[in-house]
Amino acid sequence: MRMLAILLLLFSFSFANLKVVATYPWIGELVKEVGKDRVSLYVIAKGTEDPHFVVPKPSHIAKMRDADLLIMQGASLEVGFLPPLLQQSNNPKIQPGRQGLLDLSEFVKIIEKPVSVSRAMGDVHPEGNPHYQLDPYNIPILAEVIKDKLCQLDEGNCVYYKGNLEDFLRRWDAKLKVWDKGFSKLRGVKVIEYHKLYDYLLSRYGMVLVGTLEPLPGIPPTAKHIESLISQAQGVKFILQDVYHEKRTAEYVAKKLNARMVILPHDVGAVPEANDLFSLFDEILRRLNP
Amino acid sequence: MKKTLLLLSVFSIAFAQESLEELKRQLEEQRRQIRELEKKIEALEKQKSEAKEEVKEEQKPAPADRTLKLRAKYEERLKAFQVYPFRQTAFLPDLSLIVDTSLVGRNKNDQELKRLEIPGLYHRYGGEEHGILNKNRGFNLNYAELYLYAPVDPYFDLYAVIPFSEDGSEVEEAYAVTRGLPFGFQFKVGKFRSSFGRLNAQHPHVWDFANQPLVYKVFLGDDGLKEKGVQLNWLAPTPFYLLFGVEVLQGENEQSFGTEGFKLNTKKDGSGTDITVGDTRKPNLYLGFVKTSFDVGDLSVLTGLSFATGHTRINHIDEEDPHAFAGKTKLYGFDLTAKYFLDSYRYISFQGEYLYRDQEGTKYAYDDVGNLVTPSIQKKQGGFYSQVVWRFAQRWRAGVQYNLINKNYVKSNEVKLNLPNNLPAYYAMLEYNPTEFSRIRLQVGQNRAFFQDGSRKTVNEVILQFNFAIGAHGAHPF
Repeated sequence: MRMLAILLLLFSFSFANLKVVATYPWIGELVKEVGKDRVSLYVIAKGTEDPHFVVPKPSHIAKMRDADLLIMQGASLEVGFLPPLLQQSNNPKIQPGRQGLLDLSEFVKIIEKPVSVSRAMGDVHPEGNPHYQLDPYNIPILAEVIKDKLCQLDEGNCVYYKGNLEDFLRRWDAKLKVWDKGFSKLRGVKVIEYHKLYDYLLSRYGMVLVGTLEPLPGIPPTAKHIESLISQAQGVKFILQDVYHEKRTAEYVAKKLNARMVILPHDVGAVPEANDLFSLFDEILRRLNP
Repeated sequence: MKKTLLLLSVFSIAFAQESLEELKRQLEEQRRQIRELEKKIEALEKQKSEAKEEVKEEQKPAPADRTLKLRAKYEERLKAFQVYPFRQTAFLPDLSLIVDTSLVGRNKNDQELKRLEIPGLYHRYGGEEHGILNKNRGFNLNYAELYLYAPVDPYFDLYAVIPFSEDGSEVEEAYAVTRGLPFGFQFKVGKFRSSFGRLNAQHPHVWDFANQPLVYKVFLGDDGLKEKGVQLNWLAPTPFYLLFGVEVLQGENEQSFGTEGFKLNTKKDGSGTDITVGDTRKPNLYLGFVKTSFDVGDLSVLTGLSFATGHTRINHIDEEDPHAFAGKTKLYGFDLTAKYFLDSYRYISFQGEYLYRDQEGTKYAYDDVGNLVTPSIQKKQGGFYSQVVWRFAQRWRAGVQYNLINKNYVKSNEVKLNLPNNLPAYYAMLEYNPTEFSRIRLQVGQNRAFFQDGSRKTVNEVILQFNFAIGAHGAHPF
């Protein structure tokens, strides 16, 4: 009888934590900041992966089976891998229409929403640009959203989550001042990016996007497009390159335009230095300010 | 207190005297300003009315005034409501269309190919032409498949796959899946691709090669195992992927199962008496599978075991060489996929499946003089495919596939038949995928499994395949 009680206790302990699955590492970091040791976290994608092409491995299905909460980036970024994983997860709690699914794109202002879409325009997202995590001012809003969601699902720990959020916001606000100051030096700087991955950062700090190496979203650079980009672009200072695409084109364009290719992390874990949300933006700033 | 009040009143009077003069001056100033403003407004209004007249002249038929326009609509709507108030387009399911077309070069012409058989395993049955991909030399339109998906309600999702061919269409799949069962269960009902093995549940457009493997063709037919029925699966609460499933299916598969009985005469010319073989039990096919998957670093492994058992009715009585079969079949499958991811776009993947069939029953056929003979048949047959696919760039893939049927043990009336048991086929492909919605594939292959009148006929082929998808974004395959 006592054994059974102990076993039950162990069982209940192992189930005590709220189980959260996040699609991308930066979401996972927010969950860690707010939930700390009272949530157990599984992150599907790696920071080094192309966020559009995460492989729907069956191993993720096993982790989603018991999840209480699935947090996604939304705006069609996960459309290639999340629907089959969700369908096979056999978990009613995290299906669309249930409380256990949180789409963060609903809580920020999505930019670059196309008026009309066609695949002839490349891999365009009808909702707009989904890479909103790179506006540091979006982060506190989403941290609060995650706190509210965790409170909704786990009322007992709400005070704890609130405390963690306040602590996080305090640290984040302090950092925002540092970043604002640092990035303000980059106002008006002209840049080219491989994919429209950094637009939220650019528009927050007034950097000017001259063009993309991709002729259309999701379409690899072509010689013709690159030549016309080079002939039109003037005074470009940086070529912003993600970690997962080939870098030859960026190097070539940088050389031609006398600009500097900068490999910028887009997510936590994309480069070793960006090991949490704070160091992600620190590292972006460091790489843009030699 | 009184003192203060007194002081205040004195103070205010003193101010009033002074400010009266000031007020008069301000009033005069304001009057002047108003006059100026009035002049300005007059001038502006004059300009405006002139401009208005110009505009009016420019776009004569449409009323320039927006409020006027609205009033017109208002009058219209008062008379009769013109807009369709029951619009349901917001509920349109996700739709996509997948088109597959190919150019085939082959060393056997289409008539020769039709007559080829794989002894003890496969021959093309006249009535069942559909499902064969890249069938003819020259151009083929393999399919134009319509996909539909939408949640039915909070409890079910519905999927349908309707391939159109040049001759018509069929419902290849139409099934509902639960979305809210507790404890890791899921239930599927309708017509669907069975989860037997690895490739069977996948649609041809996600296959790595233009045709299905040889073992699938001989044991499951050109269409694969697509059946009406139900599936119940359970995802185990383990840290790694572990899925158990059972299916109860009608079992109409033309290669290994079949439900419809048949009637034949004891004489080929019809002068004898009729023998009737009844239908099987319905549903006829019972199936179980277990699949598991785990990751070791960047290597992902998916493996599974499958088992199917059912009765068999094969009716080829209307053929030139009439025959039929009634019995029982057990089918076993083992599959293994190992995929090593080099980065976001590149991987090397190994995939293999072994299928084994154990069949017993009675064959119905006619001897040389036209008398019905009914030998008892026992078949133990097995084979596999294994393939390596290398995605070496975001848009490029290359792969090779090796097929072999290495067991073809058939006993007729307890006498072992001398059938070939070394039946290979080899394929190699190179793919260019401009985006995830289009694919151009070049495949070359040699099939040495076909025979005619006891002698091996090698089939060499080249296939240039084009595949396109429009509409809703499909899932990326694992």
